[in-house]
Amino acid sequence: MPKLTFRGGVHPLHSEHEGKLPTRNKPVRDFAPEQVSILMGMHLGAPSKPCVQKGDHVKMGQLIGEPVGGLGVAVHASVSGEVVAVEPINYMTAAPQMCVTIKNDFKDEWVELKPLGDVETCDPTQVVPAIKAAGICGMGGAAFPTHVKLTIREGAYCDTIILNGAECETYLTADYRLMLEDSTRIVDGLRAVMRALDVKKGVIAIEDNKPEAIEAMEKAAQGRAGVQVVTLKTKYPQGGEKQLIQAVTGREVPVKKLPLDAHVIVLNVGTAHAIADAVIEGKPLVQRITTVTGCVVNPDNLRTRVGTPLQEAINACGGYKEEPGKIICGGGMTGNCAPNDTIPTTKATNGIVVYNEKEAKSVEEGPCIRCGRCVESCPMGLNPYQIKHFCDMDRLDEAQKLDVMDCVVCGSCSYICPAQRSLTASFKVAKEKIAAAAKRGKA
Amino acid sequence: MQILLAALVLGGLGLVLGILLTIASKIFYVEIDPRVEEVRACLAGANCGACGYAGCDACAQAVVKGEAGINCCPPGGAAAAEGIAKVMGVAAEVAEPKVARVLCQGATGVAAQRYIYDGYKSCQAAAGLACGPKECRYACIGLGDCVERCPFGAISIQNGIAHIDEKLCKACGKCVAACPRSVIQMMPASAKVLVRCRNMDAAKPAFAVCTASCIGCGRCVKACAQEAIQVVDGFAHIDASKCTQCGECAKVCPRKCITVE
Repeated sequence: MPKLTFRGGVHPLHSEHEGKLPTRNKPVRDFAPEQVSILMGMHLGAPSKPCVQKGDHVKMGQLIGEPVGGLGVAVHASVSGEVVAVEPINYMTAAPQMCVTIKNDFKDEWVELKPLGDVETCDPTQVVPAIKAAGICGMGGAAFPTHVKLTIREGAYCDTIILNGAECETYLTADYRLMLEDSTRIVDGLRAVMRALDVKKGVIAIEDNKPEAIEAMEKAAQGRAGVQVVTLKTKYPQGGEKQLIQAVTGREVPVKKLPLDAHVIVLNVGTAHAIADAVIEGKPLVQRITTVTGCVVNPDNLRTRVGTPLQEAINACGGYKEEPGKIICGGGMTGNCAPNDTIPTTKATNGIVVYNEKEAKSVEEGPCIRCGRCVESCPMGLNPYQIKHFCDMDRLDEAQKLDVMDCVVCGSCSYICPAQRSLTASFKVAKEKIAAAAKRGKA
Repeated sequence: MQILLAALVLGGLGLVLGILLTIASKIFYVEIDPRVEEVRACLAGANCGACGYAGCDACAQAVVKGEAGINCCPPGGAAAAEGIAKVMGVAAEVAEPKVARVLCQGATGVAAQRYIYDGYKSCQAAAGLACGPKECRYACIGLGDCVERCPFGAISIQNGIAHIDEKLCKACGKCVAACPRSVIQMMPASAKVLVRCRNMDAAKPAFAVCTASCIGCGRCVKACAQEAIQVVDGFAHIDASKCTQCGECAKVCPRKCITVE
């Protein structure tokens, strides 16, 4: 079968196996910190409302944040113990966020769980409510509420569910280890969603740099109705939602539309695993696999609790190897830089990448030489160098005419630019400004 | 004889074509706004594209159409803006002279630092990352989004915060729009007594993040004989219409965040 792919893209760290070598053969290790700081706004949408107080004793999996609004997600305690603080903390976002801090008593007492039972025999109408109750949001990075994604609006239909096992991001091996070690659960999650939405086709898409994962998933998918595994070419951003749909189905998501308009729903393999946990065991989303790598003594894949301070996760991997320059939450291409190492992980933190001072140093922008490499690399078919010119001029109307709003902020153009121009960063700023202006116009 | 014929044919051809061209130029006459030429003369003439238009001619046309402002030509600077204003007759519009003011004194060492920002040089980008590089999330970030936007070179970053040269400021308002923290505000040039802080937090957190922050203590409110000062949203506001510029408030301010120019 030919390897599937999309137009454009780049291949970062090609000669270094995408930076995945230090952790790809490290089995997942459980890690529970002394204290967790669980943010109320981990997901896209309005932050949840804390429903515990300082001094309360909570059990693992207990609801501590009630969902607010249509895009709200429930938040659960990831350890058992005493609530020591309910107050706003400075996180990576523009404004401080409400946060519940719990001191771990290391007893790991679970609340009473209400499982639905086997994924093939359970009541399919109860799957999406169970996902909502488990507080699951996209675990690939964007943290979009999963129950909203799985609610098909009037008039739309879905014929394919794609599980994203591409893990095209540099350095990260969390999804890879999950696919190797818990492949049956991933397929269970996919089947649960397929039954809930009455979809006949489920595709698990994996890049060809992970042959062991492809083999494991193929084995797990055998005998499961409608589930198949496809091989993708190793290229960034192969795991981008729109790129993945194009590669797997040949369909293009229309401009300003959602994957559902191409009759596809894409879920991360980690999300599928969390869905299976919620259905089979009734467990809410309180832990996830996070790759800790880069400038640390023992790079590793940790099954961390949601809300683990970065510092504790790094210390669990032997601490810093040298003076750290930057700590990135996520992968090297789309991850965000953390302001310090005391901030906690979220449901979407798939990696903690530490750069030393030399690697972290940013470079001066050079002038554009019109080589066109950014145009070739843009997976969305945009004209990055031209858009950047207008962004620098603050001519956002012109930038909008060149579809800056369709930029998926993947970073391919910035990566490939020989003049090291901050293309993606300027588009992100432009998108924020345009969105803010549109909001003001509406209000 | 033959040479005469050739001259006649060519001459006749020239005459007929000349008449045709004259008629065509009358029928297809394109009216050009004389101001386009005048505006074009005021511009720097480098065809640099800094205005965002294809060149100086395109920019001049945009100015006359009203699409571009009088301060569209950054290399031309103040001279170009003044010239264009004269041509377009807009200078007379300014009733009360205004000036942009930076309402923050949180320079490096004054406001506490949260982290070292080393990325895309843009205040907007830094403001979105973990509440900004300074502990005070209302402070001037000092990466110069306003400097970039100022067509008159009136703004500079000194010691981590923006400074505006009042003499060069033409009150175009571009810096006000560019600032993600709303630290720069347009004010009457006559208002010399200013509250140079916009920290909306309560007294304790405001006190902790900066040595020049307004903590909303209200001493200035009591000191003002004109009742021109009010503490709203955690910091003092001076009503410019009531203020007599006496400066009593600045004397009693324990944080020295009220200044007299």
